[in-house]
Amino acid sequence: MNIKVNETPVRTSRNFLINNIKIDNLELPKNVSKFENVDISSDKSIVSENTNISNLVYGNGDLLEENNLKYCNSKIQLETAKEDVKIVYNFDDKNISLINQIEIKADKDSTVYVIYNTKTEKNVFHNGIIKSVAKNGAKLNVVVVNFLNEQSYNFDSFEAIVEEDSKINFFVIDLGGKTSVVNYYSNLIGEKAINNVRGIYLGKDEEKKDLNIISHLNGKKSVVDIDIQGCLDDKSKKNFKGTIDFKNGCSGAKGSENEFCLLLSENAKSIALPMLLCTEDDVEGNHSTACGKVENDSLFYIMSRGIEYKEAIKLIVKSNFNKILDEIKDEELRNQIIEKIDSRLK
Amino acid sequence: MSKTKVDDINRNIYDFKNEDNYDIKLQKGLTKEVVLEISKLKNDPDWMRDIRLKALEMYNKLELPTWGPDLSGLDMSDISTYVKPKSKLNSSWEDVPEEIRDTFDKLGIPEAEKTSLAGVGAQYDSEVVYHSMKEDLLKQGVIYTDMESAVRDYPEIVKEHFMKCVPISDHKFVALHAAVWSGGSFVYVPKGVKVDIPLQSYFRLNSPESGQFEHTLIIVEEGASLHFIEGCSAPKYNKVNLHAGCVELYVKDDAYLRYSTIENWSKNMMNLNTKKAIVGKNAQMDWVTGSFGSKVSMLYPMSFLNGENAKTEYTGITFSGGGQNLDTGFKVIHNAPNTTSLINSKSISKDGGSCTYRSLVRIMDNAKNSKCSVSCESLMLDNISRSDTIPVNDIRTDEVTFSHEATIGKISDKEIFYLMSRGLSEEDAKAMIVRGFAYPISKELPVEYAVEMNNLINLELEGSIG
Amino acid sequence: MSKLLEIKDLYANAGEKEILKGLNLTINKGEVHVIMGPNGAGKSTLANVILNNAEYQKISGEIILDGENINNLTTDKIAKKGVFMSFQSPEEIPGISTVNFLKEAKKNIDGKPIKVFAFKDDVKKYMEELNMNPKLADRNLNVGFSGGEKKKNEILQLLVLNPKIAILDETDSGLDVDAVKTVSKGIDMYKNDENAVLVITHNMRILENLKVDFVHVLVDGKIVTTGGEEIIKDIEENGFSKYKK
Repeated sequence: MNIKVNETPVRTSRNFLINNIKIDNLELPKNVSKFENVDISSDKSIVSENTNISNLVYGNGDLLEENNLKYCNSKIQLETAKEDVKIVYNFDDKNISLINQIEIKADKDSTVYVIYNTKTEKNVFHNGIIKSVAKNGAKLNVVVVNFLNEQSYNFDSFEAIVEEDSKINFFVIDLGGKTSVVNYYSNLIGEKAINNVRGIYLGKDEEKKDLNIISHLNGKKSVVDIDIQGCLDDKSKKNFKGTIDFKNGCSGAKGSENEFCLLLSENAKSIALPMLLCTEDDVEGNHSTACGKVENDSLFYIMSRGIEYKEAIKLIVKSNFNKILDEIKDEELRNQIIEKIDSRLK
Repeated sequence: MSKTKVDDINRNIYDFKNEDNYDIKLQKGLTKEVVLEISKLKNDPDWMRDIRLKALEMYNKLELPTWGPDLSGLDMSDISTYVKPKSKLNSSWEDVPEEIRDTFDKLGIPEAEKTSLAGVGAQYDSEVVYHSMKEDLLKQGVIYTDMESAVRDYPEIVKEHFMKCVPISDHKFVALHAAVWSGGSFVYVPKGVKVDIPLQSYFRLNSPESGQFEHTLIIVEEGASLHFIEGCSAPKYNKVNLHAGCVELYVKDDAYLRYSTIENWSKNMMNLNTKKAIVGKNAQMDWVTGSFGSKVSMLYPMSFLNGENAKTEYTGITFSGGGQNLDTGFKVIHNAPNTTSLINSKSISKDGGSCTYRSLVRIMDNAKNSKCSVSCESLMLDNISRSDTIPVNDIRTDEVTFSHEATIGKISDKEIFYLMSRGLSEEDAKAMIVRGFAYPISKELPVEYAVEMNNLINLELEGSIG
Repeated sequence: MSKLLEIKDLYANAGEKEILKGLNLTINKGEVHVIMGPNGAGKSTLANVILNNAEYQKISGEIILDGENINNLTTDKIAKKGVFMSFQSPEEIPGISTVNFLKEAKKNIDGKPIKVFAFKDDVKKYMEELNMNPKLADRNLNVGFSGGEKKKNEILQLLVLNPKIAILDETDSGLDVDAVKTVSKGIDMYKNDENAVLVITHNMRILENLKVDFVHVLVDGKIVTTGGEEIIKDIEENGFSKYKK
């Protein structure tokens, strides 16, 4: 079937091509068997399968949400202790459809890594919902890494609720999938709630990336900071929608959004819609987006130090990503990410 | 005040015989008959009548937009009333709401101009000035006349350009406009002619209708240059509440056009104006826009950069007060190499008003080496208003320098304190800061307009603070 | 009565933070006072509180100008009563030229219309004396001015508005030697037997060219010592440590 997903919170003219993304000939898997290859490493956190996820505020749209709620084949509920938790999903020839839910409740400082690996050449399908809540002053890091193969469909719906004095740092590292659609919604309901959203994406061949980030600031003095760094090669395309919505009553709130996209080929296409919505005067909001190819000056400088063109490009791409990658504490994971970036940049 | 011969001739066009019968016929919706009636009244040549009819077909086919502000205040089934010529010829000065008459006084608009802005009479005072200006222009070969005369006297030029810059399929209100258009300016500047003084639209002698379906067509030929100013800052009052005008601007190779306008329709109006410019090789198109007034606005001036090295600059301010929903912005398509666009937009919301900045920057894959820089600043004056920024950036080539920034917030407390410490009251301090915020726009306007705009800002701010 | 400004037992906060903790100060007509103190002692706070900057809250105490309690007046009214503060970081206000702004402020403070040509001449004369680039008169208020130009502009405003008391907040910070001399000259031109000057600073340069009557040391929200010019020398050589106890 042909579907439209990942709607923008405020509609624009149809011919701007950014309201949603159209996906043709998509078969949503049904009645899938339980996903077997899930590795959860945690010591003291409470892990169960009793997720309680119902209506998403945004998400990827009704069809995908229904598909997830009805055919979910992996559920993880996590009440984190003061530690790092790693959840790794390994797709293989027998496990090619993953419709998963992860529910994270944090009232202690903790980090949750979620990694999607593919060890198969087959088309894989992933439709996941991750809901996270940080309360009681907790600082929660959620790092989601997409290492899916280049034939897959990836649909992610993320929700982050931040209560008073608490913080959620949410990382989306999108390095896989033929079509990858990510919807992220955060609601800063408590006073002085903080949400940092960091994203990295890399598209090549004819891949499509659709990233829709929506943040509602409700609590007084709440702060959201969004930084997305991306890179597009060959004929890949990306749509980025980033919405910061200052709700009435969030006096003293601050919101900033920065998106940068490096274009490595003349056929890569980028559409960005950074939105600022506001019904509260006592706020500071700003956003900036920029887009372009690698600066000649930088390239020349690096090459004049003996580094050949392809390596120089890789260096520059990675230097844009480094600021975000440095915030990921797990060194092994960081290295895996860098390796993947290298391999995708040919 | 005596009317000139020209004015008399114009009146004859609109004096029609079956006045009584016409008024009795109540037609629901916009029908072919009404369009044909209008065409007949204007003595349209066949080709213009055909355009009107095609546009009517298009209007019936197209839907209302699925985005943007609520247009439910517009009764589409009653459109025939909007377009009936002579629907306002019976208005008198007393019919004009008191609030509008007060504003004219406060803005210092002279008597004669007041009545013309209120759609009650034609412009008298300006006749003398107009005629002397007209002679200078004629010597240079510049054509400056009303749109109906242009259709009659310069059919080849008009035919070549009319509804080509803005196609009738663009959206429903363009189709409506093309079917029922009436009044407006036609300006033609021949090759190499540089018009020194800004041409102002209210110097043209127009029909008594206040032009809510006005069509402005400006052609600046190769190497020529012109500054055209449309409207002024006093509120344009209409009993009827739809303004669906259309502005088509052709800036040919090596030419320059600056189009300045202050749109300030009265607060019962739905302002759905469409303005576009096609910019040729090495040419430059500057837009300077102030949007005040009207209940609902949907205004997105647009530049097509069609020739190499074409350039466009947009400087605009939108001020939305209580009960207003102003949805404005800018669109630019880079369709040739080395093109440049600079967008500088500001908006102010207060008293529950809503300002939405909507834009499109589309850099096509053949627009190598293009540059675009967008800057939007929004000022909120209280926490019951709204300010939204919805910019779409569609980049289809890698050889581009593109950046976009936007900020939103309130007047800085530090700035208020500084000004108050110099003896200004809080109200005066805020007014000064808001005028400073609008300064990049007011400095691009001729002095009288800038002064009027500042006075308008002061008026808008009065009573809203404290 | 020669008392111009009297501050009695002033307690003031910035949000939840206590900054002024019982400050007392009396300035008479014709006097030049200096307040010095380590960073964070509350010097700028004092200036802002006198002018009732909404970022600070008075908890208790009185500020009396020329016999009148000005605690609850709004900033503009205080300015009209004759208090002028020269800002450490003057704000940039586009849309109005320096000279027109001065005219506006003068009109507000004096409460009567200005003779435009005479006024512009006066401004020109002051600008010459202050070695200010005459083009700055028509430029937007402080927009794009260098640090030095902004500070000189503050002194220009002081001379034109001619208040009863001038509070100079860190006026010399960021200025080169010549600029400091010019600012001192401006203060000299302003100073007479009827008005008073309060200089707030934590470095000495501005004081080299100024005749000072009283020096106060402000530490931890209170004035801990008052003396003459000898204190300046002491601080120059030994810093603030002995006053901090």
